[in-house]
Amino acid sequence: MITTFITAGCLALAAILELLNLGFGGGWEEGVYYSVHMLTILCLFIGAAGTILLGRHLLIHSELLDSIASQLVTKKEPKLSDEETLAAEKKQFEYFSWLPSKLKKQYRQVIIETLDGFCCSNSELQKQLRELKIQKQLSEKQKRNTEAIIYSIRDAVVVVDESERVLMANESAGRIFNFDFNKALRKHITEVIKEDKKQFIKLLRASKQDKARATKQEIVFSNDDQEPKTFNCIVSCVKDEKQQVCGVVAILHDISREKEVSQMKNDFVSHVSHELKTPLASITAYSELLAEGEADDEETRKEFYSIIQNQAQRLNRLIEDILNVSRIESGLIKVKKEPVSLTIIIQQQLQMIKSYAEEKNITVIGQEPIVFDQVYADKDMISQVIVNLLSNAVKYTPSGGTVKIETEVDEIGNIARVSVTDTGVGIPQEEIDHVFDKFYRVKANESKAKGTGLGLNLVKQIIEKMHNGRVFVRSKQNQGSTFGFELTLSKAQTPEPVNKM
Amino acid sequence: MSERKVLVVDDEIHIVHVVAIKLRNNGFDVITAENGSQAYELACKEKPDIIVADYQMPVMNGLELTEKIRQNEATKNIPVVMLTARSFSIEEDIRKKLQISQCLSKPFSPKELLRSIEDTLYQTVVQKD
Repeated sequence: MITTFITAGCLALAAILELLNLGFGGGWEEGVYYSVHMLTILCLFIGAAGTILLGRHLLIHSELLDSIASQLVTKKEPKLSDEETLAAEKKQFEYFSWLPSKLKKQYRQVIIETLDGFCCSNSELQKQLRELKIQKQLSEKQKRNTEAIIYSIRDAVVVVDESERVLMANESAGRIFNFDFNKALRKHITEVIKEDKKQFIKLLRASKQDKARATKQEIVFSNDDQEPKTFNCIVSCVKDEKQQVCGVVAILHDISREKEVSQMKNDFVSHVSHELKTPLASITAYSELLAEGEADDEETRKEFYSIIQNQAQRLNRLIEDILNVSRIESGLIKVKKEPVSLTIIIQQQLQMIKSYAEEKNITVIGQEPIVFDQVYADKDMISQVIVNLLSNAVKYTPSGGTVKIETEVDEIGNIARVSVTDTGVGIPQEEIDHVFDKFYRVKANESKAKGTGLGLNLVKQIIEKMHNGRVFVRSKQNQGSTFGFELTLSKAQTPEPVNKM
Repeated sequence: MSERKVLVVDDEIHIVHVVAIKLRNNGFDVITAENGSQAYELACKEKPDIIVADYQMPVMNGLELTEKIRQNEATKNIPVVMLTARSFSIEEDIRKKLQISQCLSKPFSPKELLRSIEDTLYQTVVQKD
């Protein structure tokens, strides 16, 4: 401020003196003239000095402003330096020692304040940035968790956008539709799903058109080498804020097994009704003939009575089978376990099966009774098991064949093993694992003999569920089968009287 | 009048037996078979006037048998009466297509079966005339 006044004053003074000088002439005025000139020059010098100082002042001012400006510009991204670097930069500005102290003070103040401001807002920003990073990590983690869940569920999930590009497809979808789910992203749905499964694409399109929330439909797919599978397909539209369809989500749930079981049940009911009605038909027909007097002689009548009785028994057995299986399944039957000899039970049942076997011309071979084959079991149930195994063997063996029943004792394993071997129709390899299933009938043998598909299931339930034993089967198609079971030997072994058969 | 010939086929021998007795007692000549395939061969050979067949049989069931009978020039006009143990009767359109004259469900009354056979044969005769 002062510099400015002095400079301005001197320059003004110099101007005035010059003007005054013009009024002075020669003579004694010459001396004044020259002094005034000297004064003027002095004033001019001072004015010049002042101007230089001011000029420098302005220069420094503008340089510093530039510097601050550029610093401000670069510091627009305060993340670039941390607190330390900022502090160091602050110090830099303190070394402007050639500046007049007042200037220095002024600008130092401005710079420090600015840098301080940056420091503050920088640390604020740093904090916010850290928080944002954490949130981002959290939400990415959530996204990954959700994706992991979707990718791992057994149901197939396929999501497409409004232009039918795949947004998401999980592993199950890849398996069902036969594509690599890792590479399906953003591909058009028709690239990913082949011709033979076109109906799925139709469903997606129909749903999009109807803008439906959720439509359910059953579809059947078959992959060449496998059994056809049925899926419950639920398709939903995803709408945006403007209620426009922006995507379609489809979920496929495998209901093949349910369908299978349902079909088996239907088959069973149909089969059972046939099985029940057949003996009943005989009973009705023969009774009617007897009633109408159409049986001419005593022998015919006796024959008719016998048939009626047999068929009634057959009906009864069937009903018992069905009920037994149901009861055992629902746990209603009480098991009465006691030490029983397998040999004795086998002997009894061999007697019972004799007439049926003779009818079919089948040889049934027992074995020399063995001692110490006692097991802790329910006598009636084990009898039932052996009846079922023996009658199956005879039933599925063509005329002239053989059925053999053997018992062996494995003392080390502490088990008794009963095997029934026949030279019958056998079971194909792919069906062996199913023979003990409820209602299961071997397809190849369905025509060869009648059955409900319950006999073996009953055997399995009795041996495994009620006696903790094990059932087994070995078979070769057209050669024969061996069915059997193992039970733990009873601890209290009493020697059985050996009976020759 | 020559005896009318009936072919009876059912995989259940007792049924075949009782039907045969009933029909023979009422003036019919009866030939029998155990399954559809046997029945077809017999039908071609003996040309019965009517066939009584069970629906559910191994190898070839009643419907398959009827279809084959209808396809053969020699046997296509033989009327068929079907016995079935199914809980529901055979669909109307299948009955019409295969020209099954009557359907009886098991258990059946032999008297009714006789009446069905008589009716069917009468219809056939009437049609011929």
